[in-house]
Amino acid sequence: MPPSGTRTVATDREERRLGFRLTLPTQVLILFIAVFPLLMQLYISLTDWSPLEGTGWWRAYELWNGFANYTDLLGDSRLWGALWRTFVVMLVCVPAEFLLGLGLAVLFMDDFPGKRVFYSILLMPMMVVPAVAGYMFFMLFQSGGPVNGILSGLTGLDVTIAWLSDPTLALVAVMIADIWQWTPLMFLILLAGLVGVPEDQLKAATLLGASWGQRFVTIMLPRIRTVLIIALAIRVIESFKIFDTLYIMTGGGPGVATETISVYIYKVTTQDLIWGYVAAIALVILIALSVLTVLAMKRMAAAGGRA
Amino acid sequence: MTTIRLENLVKSFGSFTALKTMDLEIGNGEFVALLGPSGCGKSTTMNMIAGMEAPTSGRILFDGRDMAGVPMGKRGVGFVFQNYAIFTHMTVRQNLAYGPKARGWPKAKVDAAVAKIADFLQLTPMLDQKSAKLSVNILQRLAIGRSAIVEPAIFLLDEPLSNVDAAFRAVMRTELKHLQREFRQTMVYVTHDQLEAMTMADRIAVMDHGVLQQVGTPIEVYNDPVNLFVARFIGAPGMNLVEGTLAETDRGLAVDLGAFGLSPPLPAALAGAARTAGAKEVVYGFRPEEVTLRTEGPGLRAAVGFVERIGARTIVHFGAADRALKIVAEPSTAVSVGETLSIEPVAASVRLFDKASGRAIKGAA
Amino acid sequence: MRRSLPFELFRYAMIALALALTLIPILWMASMAFKPIAEWSASGADLTWWPKAPTLDNFRYIFGEQTTALIATLDRTATKPILASLLAAVFGTLIAMSAGTAAAYGLSRFGSGQNLPLALTQLRLFPPMAVMIPVMIMWAFLGLIDSWWGLALIYGIVTLPFAFWLMKTFFDEMPKEIEEAALVEGCSRFRVFMKITLPMMRAPLASSAMFVFILNWSDYLIGLLLTTKEWVTIPVYMASLSSSMTGQLYGAKAALGLIAAIPPVILGIAIQKHLVRGLTFGALKQ
Repeated sequence: MPPSGTRTVATDREERRLGFRLTLPTQVLILFIAVFPLLMQLYISLTDWSPLEGTGWWRAYELWNGFANYTDLLGDSRLWGALWRTFVVMLVCVPAEFLLGLGLAVLFMDDFPGKRVFYSILLMPMMVVPAVAGYMFFMLFQSGGPVNGILSGLTGLDVTIAWLSDPTLALVAVMIADIWQWTPLMFLILLAGLVGVPEDQLKAATLLGASWGQRFVTIMLPRIRTVLIIALAIRVIESFKIFDTLYIMTGGGPGVATETISVYIYKVTTQDLIWGYVAAIALVILIALSVLTVLAMKRMAAAGGRA
Repeated sequence: MTTIRLENLVKSFGSFTALKTMDLEIGNGEFVALLGPSGCGKSTTMNMIAGMEAPTSGRILFDGRDMAGVPMGKRGVGFVFQNYAIFTHMTVRQNLAYGPKARGWPKAKVDAAVAKIADFLQLTPMLDQKSAKLSVNILQRLAIGRSAIVEPAIFLLDEPLSNVDAAFRAVMRTELKHLQREFRQTMVYVTHDQLEAMTMADRIAVMDHGVLQQVGTPIEVYNDPVNLFVARFIGAPGMNLVEGTLAETDRGLAVDLGAFGLSPPLPAALAGAARTAGAKEVVYGFRPEEVTLRTEGPGLRAAVGFVERIGARTIVHFGAADRALKIVAEPSTAVSVGETLSIEPVAASVRLFDKASGRAIKGAA
Repeated sequence: MRRSLPFELFRYAMIALALALTLIPILWMASMAFKPIAEWSASGADLTWWPKAPTLDNFRYIFGEQTTALIATLDRTATKPILASLLAAVFGTLIAMSAGTAAAYGLSRFGSGQNLPLALTQLRLFPPMAVMIPVMIMWAFLGLIDSWWGLALIYGIVTLPFAFWLMKTFFDEMPKEIEEAALVEGCSRFRVFMKITLPMMRAPLASSAMFVFILNWSDYLIGLLLTTKEWVTIPVYMASLSSSMTGQLYGAKAALGLIAAIPPVILGIAIQKHLVRGLTFGALKQ
């Protein structure tokens, strides 16, 4: 920016006006997708409205039921089950992806022949359309499919596990698919963090007699703390949304064995069509996530200020 | 405290040879500067001493012990990086305690060592500060302290002053030299700044293109450069070097300097050496500080190009681009541009170099 | 830093394992895509890793050619779903990039729209499932259900945060001096943006657009909810590739999956160095 002395009121006004115009489309889109729909969602959530009613949503007040939807969801065991499964998936997949990604990233820290090609190949899963990935694993986990084929080869037995029709194994299969697809993301981000650790500091630590393990704990990990938090945060959020891969592999089944929160909402939306109730669930989730996000961002900003 | 010996040290990266057959002995408690322009191999040499790189051939001996295969964490080398490589996410105390902790010293011993070194380096007041925001001279002390606390055999310093403001460099130089005296440590200091090397080092090893050119005390390197490279590199401004041809005159051997005329007769010893060497084409050199400047009289005749008056001294530039001369004169010297003057080098300070080989032609001293 | 031989062996062994695990699912699908019906409908020990008699039948089939091997005929070919995915993703990218780039510039240079970083971050975090009820109602009201343009609009909004953050970090890094020089010469602020800034940012714009395209192309859920018949997208269409007579049409699905998987993988490799920036919202620039 030019020194303040040369700035005139006219350029200031021109810039403010242009800035306003440039940001306007985005602001409008946010209003369009966030503010208005949220108000609509709040309104509908207080009613028993369903698209089957044949009346427009604005007339939902005719089916006013106050906070009944909200009290209902407290006792909805299928919802809590879905939430629980979502957390199970999160608690297994995110740490697994993190550890595998970190391990790979450590192997890729310095140069070695073939590094670039291996790197590109290892990133491929995260670029595969998740629905297609879901289909890949659907094929792999068929009882006559290659996973059992490999297991048969390894054990010498004729393995015919029905992965996707067993409640526990279906969840395992879904988690394996998620780990396959998203470990590369952890690897990518953590590697970016690790190569940013100043080489001089690592050398200095080595010269002071620190072993690799000591350097990892005392220099590398603290240095990539922010990166680490970001990577974990992204995966925690994304795994909460888990839908595509899982829905294609199992459709939430068998029964509700792999029904996560997104699958549950999807089913209630498209099969039960009780939209007033869905709106209530969705709103609660949105508010919970918003609060968590704001808290996390504040924490992160504070951490960033200190680092 | 340790003596370091480098024997036939060679380092190649693929087809590029960064260091060609380096031999150097660094005595106990000595402060040696490795001096040269960038790419001269000085950093490579230092990295090999530290164990960060393995020599292609040759040996590195600490007190006669071959260091081949000894990993860098086990050599007992203190290293001060160009940017100090302070662990900025730690406090000053944590930085100082890093080495002792890595070596598994008991806590009491760590604390005592930290307290002692902090006291010595006047770091005690900031022990519990985050090291990210410290000023550069404190960073330097911290970097030295962090290495010194584990009592390394030798200290290596990699251009520690190159990121420091010019104005502050003098202060840092003084402090560094002072610390070295206090520690009585063997120190190897890498720099491209001849002023740093001249002011701090006991001995200077001048390097260029992977070749060690000359090793000597600052005054030796300054007074008796062994070749044209060293002559040009040491001193600010550098030595005046004029190409010419040896010519016998009735007053003895002199050098025909073309446009500058005939040089004053060479001192007898130098003339004798030049005759013995049998060289014809030579380079005539003299320090800008060691001349007599007169309007008339014996010496090189040249017209004043321009005059730089920088307070404590005046630098008079003569002649054109490729045949330029610089003279350092008293601040009060009255000269005007365009005026033709006589420049008579002090006889004892005249140096001759063989033009073909670049080597100094030396009279028997 | 020097590494020991055992470490190198360990490293290559681990990488080989990772590569195998990475590639097996992808290669399996590729292999299935080129297998004739007899091979892909086999199971257990009869299932082979490589097609014994490679064929393009599966590709021909999904594009509507009758093949003797397959009894079932398709009521729809894959052509229109591919077109739907393509149109929705391209125009969605266009919307996200136009709005996002303008807003990013406005914030980066003039500090306008201070609310955007937080608002857009939250938008990115929301599970789409949780806002779909009002979106479905609105889209139905606007007549946007089951159209590629309706999809493009929602794609554009969903990926807007990515476009915005990517471009913002690029604008923040761009030196202001060039723009200032043009300003001194009397260009208007807007002209400078259009004629100087945007042309200079061609490479970042292209990378960001590719990134956003990958995200749009990867959608499944929104397509599932907002399209029904005419403009279903590839993944939605894929699910319909089974029939009561033949069960899962593995080969056909694999062929379509391969077609769907290739563009983002190629684009993703092309913009590799910006992936981190895009994924972390510029918190990390690699």
